[in-house]
Amino acid sequence: MGALAGVAQQTPVGHATDFTSESYFEPPHEQQVKLRLSGAEASPLPGGLLDVKKLKVETFNEAGKPEVIVRAPQCTYAPLDGVANSAGALELQTGDGRFRVAGEGFLWRQSASSLTISNRVRTMIDVPLMGANAL
Amino acid sequence: MKKSVFLFLIASSSWAAAQTNPAVVPAAARAATEINSDAADFDLNTHQAVYRGHVRVEHPELKLTCGTLLVDLPTAGAHLSNVVADTNVVIDFNDGKGQTYHVTAAKAVYAYKIENAVTNETVTFTGSPKVETAQSTIESEPMIWDRAHNKFTFIAPKMISREAPGNTTNGLPVKLF
Repeated sequence: MGALAGVAQQTPVGHATDFTSESYFEPPHEQQVKLRLSGAEASPLPGGLLDVKKLKVETFNEAGKPEVIVRAPQCTYAPLDGVANSAGALELQTGDGRFRVAGEGFLWRQSASSLTISNRVRTMIDVPLMGANAL
Repeated sequence: MKKSVFLFLIASSSWAAAQTNPAVVPAAARAATEINSDAADFDLNTHQAVYRGHVRVEHPELKLTCGTLLVDLPTAGAHLSNVVADTNVVIDFNDGKGQTYHVTAAKAVYAYKIENAVTNETVTFTGSPKVETAQSTIESEPMIWDRAHNKFTFIAPKMISREAPGNTTNGLPVKLF
């Protein structure tokens, strides 16, 4: 994953609104955004953490098509570690919206692009999953 | 209930689970599938989801429970291609004609792919797999459910047939061939 670069009104320790951070693919697709993390508001917390409102994480393929979108109304984000977590709600969906997940409590590790949902995970899939042959 | 046990000497046999027309897609088959679990991990690099703890999959034609479930996240517009259910796998489904099937196994692997315009859609059960209907039980290691052709394939199967009350002439409700 490429370097993380803040692109809009982001300050390391202050209050930020409508901020966005992006990382890029390795060459030859270094111009394409691989992951975009954004939020409506970020307020500083002790320990260099940020209280983020309306977190949104988007991943893209090398052609720029959205693959996965993650949304959370609130979370605590550690910008130096690239880790976000919350005891609250979270939603995930694929780019075409046919695979949707909701749950409570999550941990997002940006370096590994991994997301753990801790409780009450509910997924709806609008593509066939067994029992639906010939589709 | 009288039971009779058949130990098949043949290496494999197939069991037609249903005689549905593959060109007709029942409305239920197009319905959304729901997965519930205690927790889940999503790897957005490999596009895989692993559901953990009390995993329950529900579809109008099928119910599945297991300990863990791995799902390859589908790309836009694509069919699910790889699903692995592990630990105490239980699947109940019906063939749309009133016949219900209860399958248990330690592991089930669903695979879907199209090669040379031919659709391959299978579920391979391993770990003491067993399929039960109201009329019979078959154990086989492994056991393959061919979704594309709606039939089971058994390897050296052991079959227990339960005769219906008052029926002493034919205890087998399904076609073996």
